[in-house]
Amino acid sequence: MSSLLLSLLFVPLAAALLLLVGRSFLSQGAARRFALAASVVTLLLSLSLGNEFRHLPSGGPRLSPVEPRHAISYHWFNLNHAASDTNSAAANADPLNFSFVFGVDGISLTLIVLTALLTVSGVLISWEAIRDRASGFYACLLLLEAALMGVFMAFDLVLFYVFFEFTLVPLFFMIGIWGGPERRYAAIKFFLYTFAGSVVTLLGLVSLVLAASSAGIATPTSLPALARWAVEHPLKPEWQIALFLAISVGFMVKVPVFPLHTWLPLAHVEAPTAGSVMLAGVLLKLGTFGLLRICLPLFPHACQTVGVPLMAILAVAGIIYGSLCALAQRDIKKLVAYSSVAHLGFCVLGLFALNSAGISGGVLQMINHGLSTGALFLLVGMVYDRYHTRQLDDLGGLAARLPLIAAIFVFITMSSIGLPGLNGFVGEYLSLVGMFRREPIYAVLGTAGVVLGAWYMLTMLQHAFFGQLHEPLHGHGEPPIRDLTFREAVAVVPIGALCLWIGVTPGPLLEIIRPDVDAVVAVYDEYLPPNERVAAKRGRMQDAVGREHFAPAPSGTAFIPMPSPRAPKIASLPHPALELARVETPSSSASATRLSPPATER
Amino acid sequence: MPENIQYLVMWLIPIAPLAASVVTATLGPRGLREKSHLPCWFGLAVATVCAYVLLFSIVPTGFSEHGTTPVVASGYSWINAGGIDVRVDLRADGMAAIMLSMVTAVSLLVAVFAAGYMHGDPGYARFFAAFSLFVFSMCMLVLAPSFLQLFVFWEGVGLCSYLLIGFWFKKPSAAAAAKKAFVVNRIGDFGFLIGIFLIWTTFHSLDFSTVLGNTNQLAQLAAEQPGRITLICLLLLLGAMGKSAQFPLHVWLPDAMEGPTPVSALIHAATMVTAGVYLVARCTPLFIYSPTAQVVVSCIGAVTALIAALIALTQFDLKRVLAYSTVSQLGFMFMALGAGAAGAEAATHATTAAMFHLYTHAFFKALLFLAAGSVMHAMGDVIDIRRFSGLRRALPITHWTFLCGAAALAGVPLLSGFWSKDEIFAVVYHAAHGDHYGRVFCIVFVVAAFTALLTAFYTFRAYFLTFWGEERFPEEAGHHPHEAPPVMAGPLRLLALCAVVIGGLVGLTGWFGTFLHHSAGLAEAHEHGLSPGLMSLSVTLVAIGIGLAWWMYVRSPELPGRVAVALGPLYHASLNKLYFDEFFWTLLVAPLRAVAWLASWFDRGIIDSIVDGIAHIPRLLSNVPMWFHGGRLPAYALIMWAGLLACLLFAMGMLPYTIN
Repeated sequence: MSSLLLSLLFVPLAAALLLLVGRSFLSQGAARRFALAASVVTLLLSLSLGNEFRHLPSGGPRLSPVEPRHAISYHWFNLNHAASDTNSAAANADPLNFSFVFGVDGISLTLIVLTALLTVSGVLISWEAIRDRASGFYACLLLLEAALMGVFMAFDLVLFYVFFEFTLVPLFFMIGIWGGPERRYAAIKFFLYTFAGSVVTLLGLVSLVLAASSAGIATPTSLPALARWAVEHPLKPEWQIALFLAISVGFMVKVPVFPLHTWLPLAHVEAPTAGSVMLAGVLLKLGTFGLLRICLPLFPHACQTVGVPLMAILAVAGIIYGSLCALAQRDIKKLVAYSSVAHLGFCVLGLFALNSAGISGGVLQMINHGLSTGALFLLVGMVYDRYHTRQLDDLGGLAARLPLIAAIFVFITMSSIGLPGLNGFVGEYLSLVGMFRREPIYAVLGTAGVVLGAWYMLTMLQHAFFGQLHEPLHGHGEPPIRDLTFREAVAVVPIGALCLWIGVTPGPLLEIIRPDVDAVVAVYDEYLPPNERVAAKRGRMQDAVGREHFAPAPSGTAFIPMPSPRAPKIASLPHPALELARVETPSSSASATRLSPPATER
Repeated sequence: MPENIQYLVMWLIPIAPLAASVVTATLGPRGLREKSHLPCWFGLAVATVCAYVLLFSIVPTGFSEHGTTPVVASGYSWINAGGIDVRVDLRADGMAAIMLSMVTAVSLLVAVFAAGYMHGDPGYARFFAAFSLFVFSMCMLVLAPSFLQLFVFWEGVGLCSYLLIGFWFKKPSAAAAAKKAFVVNRIGDFGFLIGIFLIWTTFHSLDFSTVLGNTNQLAQLAAEQPGRITLICLLLLLGAMGKSAQFPLHVWLPDAMEGPTPVSALIHAATMVTAGVYLVARCTPLFIYSPTAQVVVSCIGAVTALIAALIALTQFDLKRVLAYSTVSQLGFMFMALGAGAAGAEAATHATTAAMFHLYTHAFFKALLFLAAGSVMHAMGDVIDIRRFSGLRRALPITHWTFLCGAAALAGVPLLSGFWSKDEIFAVVYHAAHGDHYGRVFCIVFVVAAFTALLTAFYTFRAYFLTFWGEERFPEEAGHHPHEAPPVMAGPLRLLALCAVVIGGLVGLTGWFGTFLHHSAGLAEAHEHGLSPGLMSLSVTLVAIGIGLAWWMYVRSPELPGRVAVALGPLYHASLNKLYFDEFFWTLLVAPLRAVAWLASWFDRGIIDSIVDGIAHIPRLLSNVPMWFHGGRLPAYALIMWAGLLACLLFAMGMLPYTIN
């Protein structure tokens, strides 16, 4: 398991370095074959990681809201702060211990597999399109894959931040060297904008680590330790708010949350297809992933008081505004880029519902958006490879010429607009229903985006694929226009199959992320009004009993005081909804009391 | 019947069409080609047989003295997260079984017809794949045990409708109509989805059995939070209005006629558009507690029925006349659904009336569309009734079957439409004498009567214009128009038989009502006898309508032109569909487009400019030090001297704030 985890990081990294070293003498053909082999190996490794993951012991008692289910840690260095501070009482304390922690939990596992899958598609779609300096291009792509893997595996802040920033470098070169006509401007803007945001995040992270170390945490950069500390000794509200705001700035730029999104359409339009696929498919998820990993578990108070209104309003604004902007675009790629703004709005909306339905929906939405938007960019790339234009005004009725591509396009469009039965719906539904429970008005406004989403995507389909055939003039020397080739089919069909699979049976995926989502949500149970708290906990415990995820926690290790003495009294209130809940779960109160350690023992 | 056989039979109903769809989609274009209809026929036949087994021997086993125990065939857990546990199961009660018997039978007949109609089309396999997928979705919708599963397949039928309206995607009008149907439906779905959220937060469940089955709980909730129940009902109604093309969301249905005619017959007349009626009928236990919501349902139905009938009066496209008549008849069903405001028993009668009309309407409307398709087939795809006439000799089968359908639609006595329309009159009349909103229902009743008159008139107008008068063919038809081949004539004959007898068969015997009363959640109700007064009223209306049509279009054909001139603006309003499309365009579409354009401009012009502006600040700031490094020697000298002076003064201790 450990070696598998590290090989996921080092296989693409080593392949990228080899390609860089050999860039002077490797031909285009050799480079792309080598890159394909490396990315396929990584994909297989990630799949076998998923397989191993199923055999992991399914989570004992949770010590912390963020906890890898398998971790490797490497000691980095010790810092004995007692040396510089001889007078303090901490002289006898343990030295500060900085180490690298790689790990994997359900959420990161799904994103790791997504990254590996999209990289393979990225290599395949660049097969013919990238002729110039191919070796360097594939090196950048694999480097990007390695960096993304690193972010998802990182369970300490140093690794997280380093990989988080490092993803910028390969993508900067991909846009800047292999991009469209305005590639330099786009690359620099992309880099500076996201970098500027990340610097604020760094400031926040450093203050957080300083605060933790001065509070006596021996490993102040380890996320599980920090999260546990934050639960047991919540930070002062004003500190939480300040740190939350600072840390989320970088993530908000990355997501991108309205109004920090303007780098995105430009970067997408100028990026080569593989770059767009990785950017939309995985890179944007770093923002939401960061919010979920760091902001949600560490700053519960700030998320509740500032986070919910701020993020939900921005997310709703992003959904509606992004949809409207998409409606006005004439460039298919830009349209899809703006649709990303709207879709990630749903994701943020789900995360900041701060309940299991919402957060599960948010995580699912990350994966769904990666799949469907990744596939859309692949398809747009296929059209562009054939016609060298993406303008709706230059294209029309392509379904007559490219029936298979059109069929897949319609399929992926349906997934993207959240047709039930395909993946998009499950994520959107859970996100919205979660938010509806917290603040109905945001969910209602978000749902309006569903109508707009159908409108702009179907308008695009109507203009590009239906109606009279209308294609740009075709040069004599060029090969004739062909429908989907085998190589393209291999790039896009697995993604489509996954869309269908997740839509029909989201169960396994939800099962994988459930323990990690529940662990984060448990932080927020303390903030619920008492009657809902009981209900929420009972619901989760029920799930746990059914699936044996939560083992009965030994007393003293549970990190949240359970209000079991109050449970029976509140459950007997004559509230119809609660009555109903009780009728449905006859054994719930018994199981709840059995599972919860009494508050006094803690 | 053993349980595992029951389970198998129930699952076969949706699975057989799904399998047919998958087989056709994968093998069709390359392997099956001209035989692509065979998997579809086979799948639908299996589904039909199973549906009738369900109707006659599975569901009745659950009937008891009061109500019924629905039969449930369990599936799998679909979404399970955060306390939401949604399963995919099949649940059948009386209402579902009746619906299914209609859906599968009509779709089988339409599929047989379509094999003849679509023969030779390049998208033959695609057509049957989408067609089977539609039947699958529709069966799953009807068999849904929960609101969410219903919604899933509600969208599923929407997708199939989108694919089939846009089947001839090379026609720009078809592509636009497909998009319009989907987007307008999405507006309804917006309400439906929020309704589902609200149901979930209110009842903590989405299962019909939990939400609708528990009468005490509903009564308690209605007493505590009447507003919430009304809100849920109205949101569900919004969804139903989208799918069932009710005012003001009816605009998509006439445009949907761009699809192949069998599609119009099945999806946009007989089955999918009735899903909204089915939803509201299903939720009757909820609507009982909100008379306000019920009266809204009735009023929307009345308005829809009236305006659709008014538009249908002047249309020249045969399929559009039928489309508007569909909208109008769906309005009738909504009128009936809302007429249960007087109490639980009245609600049972109202739901029965609506479902009865849904049932008979499916047969005669499918028949009318298929007959219109047969006309189109013979006329070389011309459907404008001004371009042909007197077809009764050239197309005898089509003529007779169309006449059966038209008579049934108009409500000619003893035919299907007569019985079901009469039931609707009865419940609305009853509601007009009730305590809740009696005056409103009086108006609804008057509207219903007037619309029935209009229905008879416009149906027979279309009939006379098509089949009577001098024999004329458009040039597209060639010299000798050919009557429908057997594969098309067979379904027409069978449907004509149904249109004639089925209303009397299931309605008059009381079978329909008895069966439906066993649906979960409907209160026990006594059969109410036929009322001679209402019947004579409806007979009179039909006679006037048909007589007027005969007088205007057969006796003195110059009259309609004079009437049109005399009525001037009214005529043009009707001809232009009361300007609804233009209204929506100026009020909704164009402003949204403008806002979208504005947003896009704002994005580039304002937000991005601010970003770029901020990015320029460092450059502006850098101008200050740049001035010092401008290469001007005097400036360097000046700074040097100033620095030296400062050092000197500092050394001499003459500067303030020096160290120590």
